Amino acid sequence: MNVPRALTAAVHGVYGLRWLVLPPATAIAMFALLVGAVIAAPREIVEGEVQRLMYIHVPSALMTYLAFGITFVSSLIVLWKRDMRWDAAARASATVGVIFTAITLATGAIWGKPIWGVYWAWDARLTTTLVLFLIFSAYLLARAVAGPNDEQVARYAAVFAVIGALDIPLIHMSVSWWRTLHPQPIVFRPLDGPALPDEMLLVLMIGFGAIFLLVLWMTSLLTDAERLAQRTEALRARLDREDRG
Amino acid sequence: MSATLAVLRKDLRLAWRDRSGWLAAASFAAISVLTYSFAFDLAAQDVRPLLPGVLWTTFLFAGIFAGGQSFQREAEQGTFDAMLMAPVPASAIYFGKALSNMLALIVVEVALLLLATILFDTTLITADLILIVAVGTVGYVSLTTLLSTLGSRARARAVLLPALALPLLVPLLIAAVRATGASLGEPAGTAPWTLLLVVFALWSSVGAALLFPMVVER
Amino acid sequence: MSGGDATVAIEARALTKRFGMLTVVDAVDFRLSPGSKTALLGANGAGKTTLLGLLATLVTPSAGAAWIGGESLARPSAALRRRIGVLAHLPMLYEELSALENLTFFARLYGVREAPARIEELLRAVGLWRRRDEPTHVFSRGQHQRLALARALLHTPDVLLLDEPETGLDVAGVALLDELVLTAPGLTVLAATHRVDHVDSWAEGALRLDRGRLVEDTTDRGQSPAGATAAAAVPEGPR
Repeated sequence: MNVPRALTAAVHGVYGLRWLVLPPATAIAMFALLVGAVIAAPREIVEGEVQRLMYIHVPSALMTYLAFGITFVSSLIVLWKRDMRWDAAARASATVGVIFTAITLATGAIWGKPIWGVYWAWDARLTTTLVLFLIFSAYLLARAVAGPNDEQVARYAAVFAVIGALDIPLIHMSVSWWRTLHPQPIVFRPLDGPALPDEMLLVLMIGFGAIFLLVLWMTSLLTDAERLAQRTEALRARLDREDRG
Repeated sequence: MSATLAVLRKDLRLAWRDRSGWLAAASFAAISVLTYSFAFDLAAQDVRPLLPGVLWTTFLFAGIFAGGQSFQREAEQGTFDAMLMAPVPASAIYFGKALSNMLALIVVEVALLLLATILFDTTLITADLILIVAVGTVGYVSLTTLLSTLGSRARARAVLLPALALPLLVPLLIAAVRATGASLGEPAGTAPWTLLLVVFALWSSVGAALLFPMVVER
Repeated sequence: MSGGDATVAIEARALTKRFGMLTVVDAVDFRLSPGSKTALLGANGAGKTTLLGLLATLVTPSAGAAWIGGESLARPSAALRRRIGVLAHLPMLYEELSALENLTFFARLYGVREAPARIEELLRAVGLWRRRDEPTHVFSRGQHQRLALARALLHTPDVLLLDEPETGLDVAGVALLDELVLTAPGLTVLAATHRVDHVDSWAEGALRLDRGRLVEDTTDRGQSPAGATAAAAVPEGPR
């Protein structure tokens, strides 16, 4: 009984520090990323300046899975524990995930035009990201039709998020098989080629750290905002009841 | 099991009594195929490359529109609460609802296949095609039945349901279109589309049946 | 959770329902004797419908516990649900099905034995036997409520939960309600109502809710110390 309680206390302690730790750490890391990507990293010989987008694109793509992972786990807890705090976390992380999938798709398209010759290619990874974007946009839409304290719609949305997350492997599989029918873009080259010079690799690593912190900070900010919205609505309902009673 | 049958019989009887809902879905499906014919000028060319996509998008939209109605009526009349308070598991209610939606939709779909056979002079009533349609229908109706429990709660339900359902159904749509194309003699690649269709149907029906009690709990 | 007392028809201990941060039913304690007729009073939004939903196993409690005939409502068994009947303000009937088909469907769900005889008995009692094959959408509001009453009594429950039962009932319907429910021996009744004038004629006691809290309990077991101590024994926190 003591060990889980100590663990919970430790988690609460760390989470309580978010306002102290995350803003400065995120600011420093993002500044380092900007300096690294724009100034420090060498100009790529073949692709030119547009290649610098990679330092945002690749970490964003990876961190969307972190955000949607938080949505998935929070949604399971909403269904299991009926705790609306986790609904706030699920909504917040889904919002952050949708923002970063949009950034991933946008930076990919800007990079794709000069390098591939097209903004968009029906490549398996791209298409999966797009469907992911649509699924979690729909999640936010479904959750937004009801108030922050509507437990039933929260459970509905949680079920939708769980199904959406479990659907990802099927989507990826079907989209890859679907694409094998058609030729790949001739200019296609993996964005993160294996032979990356050291300076570039360093900046990319900074990028991973910075976007990771940014996702965490945005998620905790939005979670707090959702909690405040829940409290505001509960207070308003209580006032309504006082006025009637 | 007997509860599932009771719900199924009741829903089929309701579907028959209040035919307007399903007739609307069927006429939507027919008009949709005609619209595609005009839009893609299907009369002037070989329809087989386009036909699977035309059929499956029509099936999905008809299914989403028709499936949304069943829970809305139940919620408005309070009968959904009455079923939930009855001494039967919620998943039994789910299976009854999903099965009745599937049966009604398969009738609509076979009628549409007949119509397309006449319009495009392509034999569509074959054993393997009907099997593909049936398995695909199990796959998407399982999910749309679960999703339509949003019922009358959401103002924008009519817009919301397709936005929720269609992204989840991407694997089913791809697999069903390819499998249907293959059965019409179109090149469909080497991927096991029918297997994917079966896996999706299993995944969606088991997942939806497990999650349904959590959606309706309050 | 132990503590169910089979000699008590309905028992609630610290029964609580929260929707998000809003507490709708707030730590309610009461015990009702078998066969007792109790009025559930309170303004709109006081939590009457939610409390009835909790007792009907439709709503899952956030904290606390409740028992029907000594059996806990947490994870309700089929047998437990067969002991509960509900008459809500919505009639809970299929408009396109006939009176007979409606009752037959619910008899199947409840596993009612010798259903045709039971259905005929009830339809005769509520005066709808001659109109049994008509779809219910042709019925008047009063006829709807009478059929709803038949549906609620179909599986011969021990406990009947009523939510504003007089709404929409005609004079004959109110008389039927008195005869079949409010004076039925052995049937435990908890009826939410805002018509205080009618209450005195049938209710033996009353529970009054105000903003989710039980503020008045005039039932025969109302002041029993057992209820007060039991409330303290139930551990707090969401289940």
